[in-house]
Amino acid sequence: MWENRCKVAVSGVGISKISRSSETPLASLALDAVKAAVEDSGLKMSDIDGLATYAELPASGHAIVDGISIVTVNCMMAMLKLPNLNWHIQTETVSIGGAVQQAVNALTAGVCKYAVVWRAMHNPPGQYQNLPGAYASGAAQFRAPYGLGGPAQGQATSQNRYLEMFGQKREKMATLAVTQRKHANMTPQAFFYKTPLSTEEYLNARMIAYPLCLFDCDIPVQGACAIVLTTADRARDLKPKPAYIAGYGQRMVYEREGSLAGEVNYMEAGSSSSNLTWARSGFGPRDVDVAQVYDGFSHRAIMSLESYGFCKEGEAMDFIQDGRIDLDGELPLNTFGGSLSAGRLHGLWHIIEGALQATGRAGERQVRNVNVSFVGASVTNFTTFIFVPDPY
Amino acid sequence: MTISDWSKVKRPIPVPGDLSKPFWDAAKNGVLVMQHCQSCGHWQHPPYPTCTNCVSTDLKFEPVQGKGSIYSYSLMFHAGDQRFAAAVPYACIIVEMDQAKGALIAGNLLGVPYTAVKLGRRVEVTFEKLNDDITLPQFKLAE
Repeated sequence: MWENRCKVAVSGVGISKISRSSETPLASLALDAVKAAVEDSGLKMSDIDGLATYAELPASGHAIVDGISIVTVNCMMAMLKLPNLNWHIQTETVSIGGAVQQAVNALTAGVCKYAVVWRAMHNPPGQYQNLPGAYASGAAQFRAPYGLGGPAQGQATSQNRYLEMFGQKREKMATLAVTQRKHANMTPQAFFYKTPLSTEEYLNARMIAYPLCLFDCDIPVQGACAIVLTTADRARDLKPKPAYIAGYGQRMVYEREGSLAGEVNYMEAGSSSSNLTWARSGFGPRDVDVAQVYDGFSHRAIMSLESYGFCKEGEAMDFIQDGRIDLDGELPLNTFGGSLSAGRLHGLWHIIEGALQATGRAGERQVRNVNVSFVGASVTNFTTFIFVPDPY
Repeated sequence: MTISDWSKVKRPIPVPGDLSKPFWDAAKNGVLVMQHCQSCGHWQHPPYPTCTNCVSTDLKFEPVQGKGSIYSYSLMFHAGDQRFAAAVPYACIIVEMDQAKGALIAGNLLGVPYTAVKLGRRVEVTFEKLNDDITLPQFKLAE
């Protein structure tokens, strides 16, 4: 087991206003989220001495403008003017889960005491779409000319093969969308908090990129969220019950860039991360009381459940049936609604919910007797975490 | 069931790079080429600086016979790229060529409604001129 397990905890969370409108500049929302997380922890802003983020705008063709379409570490530093800043990082390949993991490393190394990690997501005005250019270079030259450029098409190509290989019907995915919407209906900040979803509506929904219908795609939003992390000893002096990090992992097995094979190696890729988290924490899938798994498209939750070992390859579409992923089921899943129903904050909201569930702070949607709270915060990078209420 | 009307679609124009120039040069002449590793015999597409099987840099672009099977597909009902709106609903297919197993190439399935797309269906390559510089490899159902 990892000798540094439970040495770092999440000690504060914050979520900004979540909407479809980009009227409020992103920097302002990111600042709101950071302030909320710091207030939640009981710290003063001047106590914060570490900053980390992942600043990608996941929509092509839009101008990258710091403070408007992304919020970089540089932007946050300029806004906060922290008097005691000692450490910062802006990650790239390891995305937001990786930024959190780097903060864990920095705190464990003792180079900072109280770190804030945020994710700020811009929803470009007008109908959400990627705006590829008139020319397609790099990997896009083999896709975009055929109208295969977008992420939904990419997901569709791997999901169609999956359905065929395992003899499955896409209609079964209604259960995931509907259950997660039920969870969002108990999450006040969720975009679809007041909007229920029925199986009927899912089955009659318009197709986007077959087999993905509208409700298989996450809801892009304008908003931000943030967490405060600190060392275990310091966490015990702060307001909220600490959510100790018992272990984490990242993807070690890769596809080459531009491959058209889709996520054909997802089992290898996901398990290469979760195996680290299981080994480091000493827990296994059967110990998990509640799980958040990245669901940018609904099929990503399927790939997550299988590759992390919650069920066997090809079985997740059946695994999610019969109430198993409800709050009182065997494996409550995406208990805040996920990216599908709460809003796309790209994995950091999954981390926030994982920490809240671990510490009895999930309000109406709190799962009972949580000892092990699992998070898979990404699918491209398969970053994984375990949060526990009590160190061991 | 109608066949997609591609005539009003403004396709993004591929920009050949160092690695991909031989591919586009051959396509302009109506030939499909893919990288063939001279060390281990592995075929790959899209082109890559090293062999994805054995890491050798001894890769040559060689012609690939036109027939293959549909490995995967996506049926677009939504114009994520507005320039493709006139063709919706349309099919994108990913094809594994018989002669180059392991290499995958994307295209549209031309000349038939999108409902013709099935995993494993036999297709063959055809070529569609985009402009004076670029000709796109495309697919039609195999005879």
